[in-house]
Amino acid sequence: MKHPSVPEILAPAGSLEKLKVAVLYGAHAVYVGGQKFGLRTAADNFTLDELKAGLDFAHERGVKVYVVLNSFLHDKDLFELPEFVKYLEEIKTDAVIVSDLGVVKTVREYSQIPIHISTQASTLNVHSAKLWKKAGASRIVLGREVSVKEAGKIKREAQIEIEMFIHGSMCMAYSGHCVISNFTQGRDSNRGGCAHSCRFEYSLEDLSTLEKKKAYFMSSKDLEGLRLLPLFIEEGIDSLKIEGRMKSHLYAGTMSKVYSEALGFYSEHHHFLSDDLLRWEEELKRVSHRDYTQASLVEKAGAQSIFNERENSTEGQWRMVGSVVEANPKAGIVVEVRNAFNKGDELEILPFKGPNISLVASEIQDLSRKEILRTKPTTLVRLPYVEGVEKMHLIRHRISP
Amino acid sequence: MKLTTYAGNLHDLSVLKNLNYDEVILGPKTLSRFGTLSPEDFMSLSTRARDLGFRVLLEWDILMTEDVFVSVLPHLKALLPFADAIRVQDPGALHWCLENTYHPIQFIAENGNHNLKALEGWVELSQGRLERVVVSLELSKDLLKNYIKNLTIPCELLGLGRILLFYTPRPLLSALAPEKVSQNELIMALGESEESPHKGFPILENHHGTFMFHIKEFCLIDFSSELKEMGLGYLRIDQRFETPSQVEKISKLIEEFSLDQFENFKSSYSQDLMRGFYLVNKTDILFPKLKNSRLQQREGTFIGEVLEAEKGSHLAIMVKNPRGLKKTDQLKILHPKGEVIFAGIFSLKNLSDEQVEIVPYGEMALIQYVGGVWVKSQVFYHMIKE
Repeated sequence: MKHPSVPEILAPAGSLEKLKVAVLYGAHAVYVGGQKFGLRTAADNFTLDELKAGLDFAHERGVKVYVVLNSFLHDKDLFELPEFVKYLEEIKTDAVIVSDLGVVKTVREYSQIPIHISTQASTLNVHSAKLWKKAGASRIVLGREVSVKEAGKIKREAQIEIEMFIHGSMCMAYSGHCVISNFTQGRDSNRGGCAHSCRFEYSLEDLSTLEKKKAYFMSSKDLEGLRLLPLFIEEGIDSLKIEGRMKSHLYAGTMSKVYSEALGFYSEHHHFLSDDLLRWEEELKRVSHRDYTQASLVEKAGAQSIFNERENSTEGQWRMVGSVVEANPKAGIVVEVRNAFNKGDELEILPFKGPNISLVASEIQDLSRKEILRTKPTTLVRLPYVEGVEKMHLIRHRISP
Repeated sequence: MKLTTYAGNLHDLSVLKNLNYDEVILGPKTLSRFGTLSPEDFMSLSTRARDLGFRVLLEWDILMTEDVFVSVLPHLKALLPFADAIRVQDPGALHWCLENTYHPIQFIAENGNHNLKALEGWVELSQGRLERVVVSLELSKDLLKNYIKNLTIPCELLGLGRILLFYTPRPLLSALAPEKVSQNELIMALGESEESPHKGFPILENHHGTFMFHIKEFCLIDFSSELKEMGLGYLRIDQRFETPSQVEKISKLIEEFSLDQFENFKSSYSQDLMRGFYLVNKTDILFPKLKNSRLQQREGTFIGEVLEAEKGSHLAIMVKNPRGLKKTDQLKILHPKGEVIFAGIFSLKNLSDEQVEIVPYGEMALIQYVGGVWVKSQVFYHMIKE
C-alpha cells in the first residue's frame, strides 16, 4: 500500500542564528527576510552576506530556504527589487514568497526563482489559485480562513502546490485586508509597519442597546494544528508553515522539533498513535503563546477563536536561559546566557532529536574558570560537560511551578 | 469623469436619474459585503434601472473560501441576466467571471496594488475583459495621475464614503453577547481604544463577517476638478451608511464646485471628512525608526558582537563573518554609545583555552580585554583606507 507523502515543515527564521536553530531542530525548510521587501521591518532580518551564509548552511543539510518579498510595494520600492532578485537567484534561493502582482512580474522578468503566493494575498478558493498559477506561481500559501478539506480540493483542482499555516499567531482580518495602522498610525501594515492594533483593548458601544463593554475583540487565539497532521497528509498538503519570524530561538527550535518529529514518526509508522503525542503537545504548551485554537482548519472560526485577553497564556512559563556555544570535555558546556540562572537550578537541554536532557547546574564557572553562584544575562559561563550535549542546543528553565 | 454610486431602492433610482447618472451599483445580500438586496429585489430593481436607462453593475466583492464560493455561485448565476457588468475583488471571482461569463468586469484593486506593474498585471491576466479598475484610497495624486495616464482602461476612485480598515469573516461582535443576538443579524457598534487617539470607529457585523471603518470618511469632493483634469474615469459616491443619503447635494457640488457650499456641506455632514493620502503617502517614513539601528550595520566588514567583556581578562566575540577572525586582524570596535575604539589582537583563543591563529565563522573568539569596550559592542575589520 502506498502511503501519502508527508508535507514539509516550514519554520520561521528571523535571523541567521534562528535559521540555524530551526534547521538543526529538524525544519525541512525555512523562510527568511532580507533587509527590504518583507513584512517584518522590526525583525533582525538578513544582510546579503547572511542570506548567502544561511542558504549555504541550510542547503548543506538538505533544507530549503524561501525568501519573503511579501510587501505590497509602491512604485518607488520596486526600483531596487530587480538587483535583489538577481542576487537571490545567484545564491540559489529555493523560492520567493510574494503577495503583490507587480512583484510577481518583476521576479519572473529577472529570474526563474519559483514563486510562492503569500498568505497576504488571501488566496481562498480554487479559482483564485488558478489565476495565480496563470500569473506564474508554483505554490499558494492559503489564507488562514481556509479549512484543510477546502485546501485539499484547491490542490486537486488547481493542480498547484499548497502551503498552509499549522501554528502561530494569526491576523484576525483577512491578511492583506487590514489597514488600521496605515490610517491611524501612518504606518503601512502591508509594507511591514503593522502596529498590531488588533491586539488593543477596545471599548465597544452597542448602537442598538447602548451597552458598553471592554474587550480585546479583535485579538485571535494562536493556531495549533498538531492533532490535525493526519488530515493535512490525507489532503495532500505540501507544506505546513509555522508563523513567527519575530519570535524567540526557543520558539523556532521547539516548533521545528515537535512538528518534524511528529511527521518523522508518521513516515516511519504510517500512523500517529505515538506515545509521544502528549509529550509533543506539552512541548507546544511550554513555549509562550496565547490560548490555542484550530481556528478554521476544520470548521469556520467562531467566538471560541477570540483570545480576548492582553497577555500571553500562563502555560508557557518556561524560559530560555541560553544556548550552547561550545560543548566538549575540554571546554565543558559553554553557555551564552540570555536569562539568569543559579547554581543548583534544574535546567533542561533540548537536543535536536529525542527527549530532553535534564541537568542540574551543580557547578557554574565563568570563562576564566572561576566558580560563580548566579549567572548574568549576556555573559558566557561553563557547566560541566555532559555526553550528548552539542553546540547550538537550547537550554531552558522552569520559572514557575 | 463620470459619477457612480449605489442604489438600494426605487427612490434612489429616481434621484439618480434626475442627476444624470448613467450607471448604478446594486449589491445582492449574498454577494456584496454591505449588500441588502434579496435576489427578488435585485431583479426587480435591476429591471427598473434598465428601463430608466441605467447600466447595472452587480457587486460581488466578498472574499470567499472555497465552500462559500461554491455556495454563492447559484445566487450569482441567477442574477447574471440582470447585470450589465460585474464588480469583483476576490481574484477567484475574477477568474470565474473570465471563464464563465461574457460580462465586462470591473476589478476592485483597493487593497494593495500600489504600483503600476501590479495594475497592468491584472489587466493582462484578464485578457481584455476588464473594463475598469477600482484603485486604492491610499494612492497619492501623483501616482494616480501616472496610473490614469498609463493604464489602458479607466480608473475609478472613491470620492466620498467610509474607509474600510478591517475585514474578517469571524463574528466578533455577536461573540461578545451571543445570548442577545440571533445568527446573521446586523449588529453595529462604535469602538475606541486607549492605545489610539481615534475614538468612535464604526464597527459592523453581518453574515459576511465583521468590518471596522475609520472614524472619518474619505472625501475628495474638493479635488474633483483636479481629478477630472487628470482623466479619472469614475468617481464613486458611497452613501450606503448615511441616512438620509446626501448623494444629490454631493453630485451637484461636484458638478459645480464652490468652496462656500463645500464648507457648508462639511459642517452639516454626519461624519468628519479626510483626504487620506491623496496629497502625499508617507506611510513608510517611520520604518527606519522601527528598526534597531545597530542591526543595520552588519554588512561588509562586520565581524561580530562582543558577547562578554571581562575586565582584565578577555573579550568574547562570536565570529559572524565568513572570513573568520585572524590574529593579524586590526579591529574597529563600535561601542553601544557610538564611540569608536581601534585595537590589534595580542591574544586569540578558542573556548578550549587554546591559542589559535584564526577563529572560523560561527565560533567564539576570545581576545585580550580592550579598555572601554562593553558587551554588545560591534566589531569590524579596520579598513586602513577609511
